[in-house]
Amino acid sequence: MPLDSTLDHVYGAIADPTRRAILNLLVRGDTTVGALADKFPISLNGVSKHVKVLERAGLVERRVAGREHWLTLNPKPLGAASRWLDHYRGFWEVQLQALEQMLIDESAPPRRKRRRTG
Amino acid sequence: MNQSKETPLVVRRVIPLPREHVFDAWLDPVRLARFMRPGSTAKATAEVDARVGGRFRIVMHHPHDSTGTEHSGEYLLIDRPARLSFTWRSINTDDRPTTVTIAFLDRDGATEVVLTHTQLPPGQVESHRKGWSDILEKAARG
Repeated sequence: MPLDSTLDHVYGAIADPTRRAILNLLVRGDTTVGALADKFPISLNGVSKHVKVLERAGLVERRVAGREHWLTLNPKPLGAASRWLDHYRGFWEVQLQALEQMLIDESAPPRRKRRRTG
Repeated sequence: MNQSKETPLVVRRVIPLPREHVFDAWLDPVRLARFMRPGSTAKATAEVDARVGGRFRIVMHHPHDSTGTEHSGEYLLIDRPARLSFTWRSINTDDRPTTVTIAFLDRDGATEVVLTHTQLPPGQVESHRKGWSDILEKAARG
């Protein structure tokens, strides 16, 4: 899998408010899928789907103990995504936007010099 | 998934002008200084030696900082108007060289700029366990 698609998974995972809420709960400690489902106004199946997205992004690890599925937060992909990516993604986006603006300004006909015909 | 050592960053933008136009702005020190001014930067200065192996230096001056932030690097590839690649180092890369490659793609007379930034120092990519909780908070607020 291309590396940037892994990061796409991370960004995709944290784009959703329910998944962010799940991550925030996991910050406080491990929990089970069942316990999570009790905290959200969605079905166990719905919670399960969100957890799968988080797992795919590498943000959550699951271990099965008896009938319980325990979830642990893995912050590493977020660390990688947040630190320099946040900095440089923002940086280059701003720069490319500024580049476009500058080039458009340069190529626009100067308004002040508009001559009257006749 | 062992992507922590090298995680490329890709940023894209379509600019409604021909490729030569967009490409040339990167090697012209006057225009480079004009658009390389992120956020709080009051002004920037740039020096460019536009040949493979030549170096560039961009200093971004912030309002209350007399020294400014320096970014510098060396041109690795200059292939007008299709591709440009250079090393990039600054305080934000722990002063270690990283690599920026820009592809300029023709889109019916417009240009899609695809900027890839790779090989950031492992120190910044891996550590900083604190960083993730900050982004969680930030993400939760957003």
